[in-house]
Amino acid sequence: MTTPIIECRQLTHVYSGKPALADVTITLAAGEPIGLVGPNGAGKTTLLNILSGFLLPTSGTVRLFGYPPSSSELIGKVSALPQDARLDPSFTITEQLAFYARLQGMTKPQATLEASRVLEAVSLAEAAKEKPTALSHGMAKRVAIAQALIGKPDLILLDEPTAGLDPVNVRTIRTIIAEQSSETTFVISSHDLAELDRQCRRILLLEKGVLQSETIGFNEQQTATRFITLQMEDCPAQEVMAILQALEGVVKVTNPQKNEFIVEYNPDLQPSMDQQLMQCLSANHWQYRQLSHGKTLEEKLFFSN
Amino acid sequence: MPPSKFKQVLLISQFELKRGFATRKGLLSVVTFGVVWYFILLYPLRFVADLLVQGKGLQHDSSFLDFIGFGSLQHWPIPEFGVYWQFALLIFPMLSITVAADQTSSDRERGTLRFIVLRSSRDSLFFGRFAGMMAIQILLVGATAISVLVLVLFRDVSLFIPALPDLAVIIVNVTLAVLPFTALMAALSAKVKSARQATLWAILIWTFLAGIISGLAYYLPILDVFQYLIPGNQLSDLAQLSEWRTLQLAYIPLLQSVVLLAFGRWIMARQAL
Repeated sequence: MTTPIIECRQLTHVYSGKPALADVTITLAAGEPIGLVGPNGAGKTTLLNILSGFLLPTSGTVRLFGYPPSSSELIGKVSALPQDARLDPSFTITEQLAFYARLQGMTKPQATLEASRVLEAVSLAEAAKEKPTALSHGMAKRVAIAQALIGKPDLILLDEPTAGLDPVNVRTIRTIIAEQSSETTFVISSHDLAELDRQCRRILLLEKGVLQSETIGFNEQQTATRFITLQMEDCPAQEVMAILQALEGVVKVTNPQKNEFIVEYNPDLQPSMDQQLMQCLSANHWQYRQLSHGKTLEEKLFFSN
Repeated sequence: MPPSKFKQVLLISQFELKRGFATRKGLLSVVTFGVVWYFILLYPLRFVADLLVQGKGLQHDSSFLDFIGFGSLQHWPIPEFGVYWQFALLIFPMLSITVAADQTSSDRERGTLRFIVLRSSRDSLFFGRFAGMMAIQILLVGATAISVLVLVLFRDVSLFIPALPDLAVIIVNVTLAVLPFTALMAALSAKVKSARQATLWAILIWTFLAGIISGLAYYLPILDVFQYLIPGNQLSDLAQLSEWRTLQLAYIPLLQSVVLLAFGRWIMARQAL
């Protein structure tokens, strides 16, 4: 039996009498990226801070690869992007990244090469000689992500990795995660559900410090009904719903927000629902923006009944 | 393979040395200190030493020197070192309270410590920063002591060999004198949010603790033993000693440092970063 990468037992953390985490128990194995979602104040950052060893839990136990956080056995094996942490303004980016690499056991030349490698990975090779004060918010975030990549750790905890980044850089981060996820397990805390939807197969939902659901699989094969999310150009919502509802195999049609429809259907009655929907849209001369299988992560986590 | 704890302490202290002498902010502080020290060396220190060398006034009035607490001046065979000894015991502990005030506080507030503890233990971080700060101060003490040696050699080159033991004893003793102050700042820095807060707390603790213990010891003399907890408690007695006799009191700063570092380590181990 392989050792889980993360194992928390009855983890509780209390800030000034207010519980931030309540009795969280999880066991996670290595593999695809894991999303950590929840509203503001749900305890996501607290959980990541405890896992990273920045914060001691009030009670409960935590093990990463079988060791407590901050254990010397985890150096080079576990890394993190802490929320809002900034580099030292007195030193250049390369000096600091090379210093971190040396703390992980690299020699001086190896450390310098590693600093260049991770900076190139986040498309910031040109900022190597800059000091952190010369960087924009987005660049500073990418440098912080670069430090998490030093030494290709087995587990990387990312707290809001794409917050404040422009779309191009969001794509860069997405690519890094996709490229490295074969050898590294990422735990990603984010409010960007669309982004998590793309990257993560497993999702942890925290609400008011309580873990609501350990793993939400994206595979709906086991369920009796399936979903298609349809995003339309401007259209008569009532009429669209009425016509879609009348299609063969459709169980239910909902309109959670303007121009977005979720079609729940029975795949046994209509296995090619997507084609049937396209034909219906074409016949009624309605323009659509996107048709995707399944519900959005937002719908799954926060609005499903 | 991660480095040993000793290697981590070494790497962190080396990085602090770099901060002290190879960054813009560090260099500015060193240059400022150098300029101030130049004027201290050139005027008060040389002036008093000249008086002692020429045997005018001060040297013959030993009761006056004893009265103002500079009694040991006349016991140093090389007067410049006697004067430097008095200056150093006053200046370096004070300097330590400001120079060593920011061992971890601002980095913790900025979140920089998080990047470091992902790759080293909190102990290595705490002791590495402390060791780095001590190394910076030892270099400053060494540089000022050597500047005094140069002053001595300007007067009489033949004093070079006899001056070396005094140079060594002064560097060792001043280092021991700043040790508990640096340890106190390490402990405070691990808790408070800024260097300024650490300095303020150090002054408050130093003043009030000394006052309270002295007050209580007046009524209950057995409590006088707690005076040994206060960094710098031995300095006034130390100022009366000269040459290798100054090491008689070395156990006091060493014990204080051990206690303060243990306390600081305890804080650091529990502190949210």
